[in-house]
Amino acid sequence: MKTETIAMVLVGGKGSRLRPITERKAKPAVTFAGKYRLVDFVLSNLANTMINTVGIITQYEPHSLMDYIGLGSSWDLDVAEGGVHFLTPYTDIDGEKWQKGTAHAIRQHLHFVRTHDPAYVLVLSGDHIYKMDYRDLIKTHEKKGADFTIGIFTPHDSLSRYGVLTLDKEGFVEGFEEKPDEPRGDYASMGIYLFNRDTLEKILANGLEEGFDFGRDIIPKAIAEKYTIGAHEFQGYFRDVGTIESLYEANMDLIDHPERLMLNDYKNLPVFTRSSNLSPHHVIKKHGIADALISDGCMIEGKIRRSVLSGSVIVKSGASVEGSLLFAGVVVGEGAKVKNAIVLEETVILPDTELVFETPTVIDNERLWDLGGGRRA
Amino acid sequence: MRDLSLVIDATSHGAFEKLTQHRMPGALPFAGKYRLIDFALSNAKNAGVVNVAIFPWGNYRSLQDHIGSGKRWNLDRRRDGLFILPPKNMMLPTEDSLTFQRMHEHIEFFRRSMQKYFLFTPASIVWNADLDDIVEKHIASQAEVSEVRTERGRLQTFIMSRDFLMRRIAEYDIIPYKTISDLVDRDERVKVKTIFHEGYARMVTNPANYLAANLDMLKFEIGRTVFSLDTPIVSKEKTAPPARYLSESEVENTLVASGCLIQGNIKDSVVSRDVIVKKNARIESSFLMNNVVVEEGAVIKHAVLDKETVVKKRTLVEGTPQQPYVTEKKQIVTDQSGFSVLHVAAEAHPFVKTGGLADVIEGLSRAQSKQGIETAVVLPLYKSVKDTYSETYRYVTTETFDFRGEKEKIRVYLIQRGKVNFFFIEHFRFFEREEIYGYEDDCLRFAFFAHAVATILQTIGPFDLLHLHDWHTGLLPGILQQEKDAPPTLLSIHNIDYQGVCTRDLLEGLYPLLGQKYNVNFLEEGIQTATKLATVSPTYRDELRYEYYGKNLTDALLRRDRDFYGVLNGISKKLNPANDALIATPYDISSLEKKRLNKRALQKRMRLSPGDDKFVIGMVSRIAEQKGFPILFDCLKSFLAEHPDVEFVLLGQGDEAFIARLEAIADTYPRRMRLNIGFDSAIPNEIYAGADAFLMPSRVEPCGLSQMIAMRYGTVPIVRKTGGLADSVTDFDPVTKKGNGFTFFHYDSRVLEERLKDAHRIFKERKEDWEAIMRQAMQADFSLERQARKILEIYQSILSD
Repeated sequence: MKTETIAMVLVGGKGSRLRPITERKAKPAVTFAGKYRLVDFVLSNLANTMINTVGIITQYEPHSLMDYIGLGSSWDLDVAEGGVHFLTPYTDIDGEKWQKGTAHAIRQHLHFVRTHDPAYVLVLSGDHIYKMDYRDLIKTHEKKGADFTIGIFTPHDSLSRYGVLTLDKEGFVEGFEEKPDEPRGDYASMGIYLFNRDTLEKILANGLEEGFDFGRDIIPKAIAEKYTIGAHEFQGYFRDVGTIESLYEANMDLIDHPERLMLNDYKNLPVFTRSSNLSPHHVIKKHGIADALISDGCMIEGKIRRSVLSGSVIVKSGASVEGSLLFAGVVVGEGAKVKNAIVLEETVILPDTELVFETPTVIDNERLWDLGGGRRA
Repeated sequence: MRDLSLVIDATSHGAFEKLTQHRMPGALPFAGKYRLIDFALSNAKNAGVVNVAIFPWGNYRSLQDHIGSGKRWNLDRRRDGLFILPPKNMMLPTEDSLTFQRMHEHIEFFRRSMQKYFLFTPASIVWNADLDDIVEKHIASQAEVSEVRTERGRLQTFIMSRDFLMRRIAEYDIIPYKTISDLVDRDERVKVKTIFHEGYARMVTNPANYLAANLDMLKFEIGRTVFSLDTPIVSKEKTAPPARYLSESEVENTLVASGCLIQGNIKDSVVSRDVIVKKNARIESSFLMNNVVVEEGAVIKHAVLDKETVVKKRTLVEGTPQQPYVTEKKQIVTDQSGFSVLHVAAEAHPFVKTGGLADVIEGLSRAQSKQGIETAVVLPLYKSVKDTYSETYRYVTTETFDFRGEKEKIRVYLIQRGKVNFFFIEHFRFFEREEIYGYEDDCLRFAFFAHAVATILQTIGPFDLLHLHDWHTGLLPGILQQEKDAPPTLLSIHNIDYQGVCTRDLLEGLYPLLGQKYNVNFLEEGIQTATKLATVSPTYRDELRYEYYGKNLTDALLRRDRDFYGVLNGISKKLNPANDALIATPYDISSLEKKRLNKRALQKRMRLSPGDDKFVIGMVSRIAEQKGFPILFDCLKSFLAEHPDVEFVLLGQGDEAFIARLEAIADTYPRRMRLNIGFDSAIPNEIYAGADAFLMPSRVEPCGLSQMIAMRYGTVPIVRKTGGLADSVTDFDPVTKKGNGFTFFHYDSRVLEERLKDAHRIFKERKEDWEAIMRQAMQADFSLERQARKILEIYQSILSD
């Protein structure tokens, strides 16, 4: 059987605005909701949609991500035909194929598309939080007979942060602006695209000299060149966590509005993650845990309020944690107080340290040392 | 350790009852996100073992599903890897442990496995073991077999070289030792050493120690060593988001797995994936499996709640550490206090009795009324009952109904005994006869009884549930199905040999007949139509899946496998050597020395050679093939010949040919063997009190009450491991000193003789061990209350459906 749809997932994003969280890892490898990585969402969506030929296009800090995804078995993507393929920058007879942008990255790996010879190519980003059945997008695309189709949504926050689309009466895309100050359309682009395979080849064949991004360059050009561009509106929760604040908010959404992402609803698009193989967490003393998400392997003796704890976090007796995200392996010592902090992996907070902030602030062993509240691991 | 193969012995059934109805012990969930077999597999993985065989018992689907290709434990390999080796003959019940015979069935596995050492371990030990260390110690000890155990107990874990093992397997049908533990305990030629495992290790065998082992993980020093980060226990990969705590939750000393939603209070418990605990619910000292829902205000203590159990609002679920409350998969537990049950049976002591059923009805109904259940019993009014009780009973009602084209009139009478109402249905033509059973029209009589009960149900009731007993009541569920709002039914099978078969035409118009069979089988009809089914012991329930036991009804029972329970019968508190007027000297566990006086009295009464050092074996039994007599004759002959200090007393009646063979042996030993033929020829209590050992080599024994009585009298049972005998007697372990008797599995004269010799040896040479066995036998809980509690759990699962 010919593969109908293959997916190309862009995971090379540096996530500069997420520093220092992304100092040593690509943005898709960032922890979310305690036990997930951002890339889990797109991989799970693909698995749930039965698209299991997946090219993962890496560039920035690829190792932790490659390690994490492995053969894709945690997402049932380790199938004999297809499966997960890492597409790394390479050199060939024409020179180095370093990626200069999203579209450029896809063009570097068109040979992968040709090998699998699909009808459609789904271009996705590895750092979005959403649960989506891509078959709906494909259906819309086929119904409209478009050359390519863009996934769109209505954001909770300001449209100016996104690529904004205007649609004509039949729902085709007629205008596009990247992060406009005064948006004219109502919809934002999710940054996911379904291409007819020959459209993709044609669009990428030339014209990349002026620009390398789908959003900034390719779509305006395609509109100008009168391609038939469909739009598929996604109704569910969608979040592109570009900044520390939005990452923090998206985590707090899980506590304040669990109905939005519905992580507990497995029947409808479960989200898979690679098991870290930890035992259930142990709540030792009764100090009150309220409005919190707590992952496996934690040991809790202290007080937890409105926080998200990743795996193997230790909160000692008399400590209090509020409004914070504690990443894997964090230790909060006796009597320490942590508020509005994003504490990165393996950070050790010594007893009686006060880390109380007004706005979400990233803490790791280095910074803790500077603040005088921690020790080097 | 590339030089080690691991053999996981998952053949043990344990005594988990409902918990293993749909899974084998190795597949039991543990500590929130594991299954028991993960420990054995992870220990292998952590030692780099790449060749693992699993010998499963019973339903290993859930195990297979969990293990998959074994990839999680690095066992998905081209060479070596994971092998599941089921019994070759699925039609025969298998022994409760891994025999050399079963290994021989899969000799190919052993031939192909070129590793130098083989480690055998059960699938149900909770431990983090260093297999490398075990191998090294075994090599250093230069023993043929090393047994791995802890200070506290044995683990059925053995290591030996491939050569040694291959020789034993090859000789499986020659050597008298059936299993490795047999070999270790009894073959003095084998050089055995012990390796002590230093850390935590606990073998899980029943609901009580299953719950306890789970709760052990809450102890810091245990939990952190078992789930060590250096040698992790690996389980199947599952996905659930982190547990969510809402603002009202209060949690203390509890393991909580992913996906839980917690709003209530939890203390000292283990909570598995995706459990929901709602507001004001209280959970203490319990183990909750995946997807359990505990609704608002429910209270749960000392319970094991199986997957997807729902405990409804404000329901109390309470067990004890020794007897945890156990639910079954998907059970809905609602507040069921104050419901009513009607037992429908053909006999009940003290009114009418031909067999054990009558005692069960009396004991169970009394125990249930004490539990707060409104309990009633309905019986036919036989002539004998009418003759004795006509002064005592009270008229209740008269009803008429159509039966085979005629108007039949019945009267109903009532006798209250304690809090139990006994109703009697009077009908001259069908019931007022000299005998109770044995008439040509028995089927018609009990078809009539069923119709009569259905007719008076509203008048004498209503009842929330009907508990039916044996074939006599088999048509009742089918009759009730035609009515609206009929109560649900539980059919108990006490004796599957009596089924009630008549021709189809007899029931024309009386019963909704389906199918085309010429004959109608009452019991089979009941099996097909009752809401749930029960029989008299957990092991017998399992045995009935095999044609060897279930005979013509195997298929019908297998179709109802999910609704079929086994509950061991209990015996009355009155059976007690402390206040038994029929025995020479009353005694109890604190005055065991007085039992000797009863032995002397028995020897005297039976005209045996007197002597405290004689080994007196007693038997009180129907003399029939299924009681094991065919394997007894030869064994008894040589055993008596070889052991001049053995004496044998039997009370019973039955098969003439068997009696003749017994008499022939008895003639040889006039002062050492006494037969009392006819149940009135001696007082059974004298044997229960006076014998040292009590023998029941039964081929089939659904429940068996004699062994329980004997045990209560401190008389050590020697029994075949079948039916209720397997559920009441645990084999004595000479190392741990645990066990309340002697058991054997193979229905074979030589095996029986071996076991008699073992018992005799311990009696003669290890007095303190023998006394330990006596004490453990006397302490076993065979109470009617225990039985009633188990039955209540079934009632509750019926009523909350």
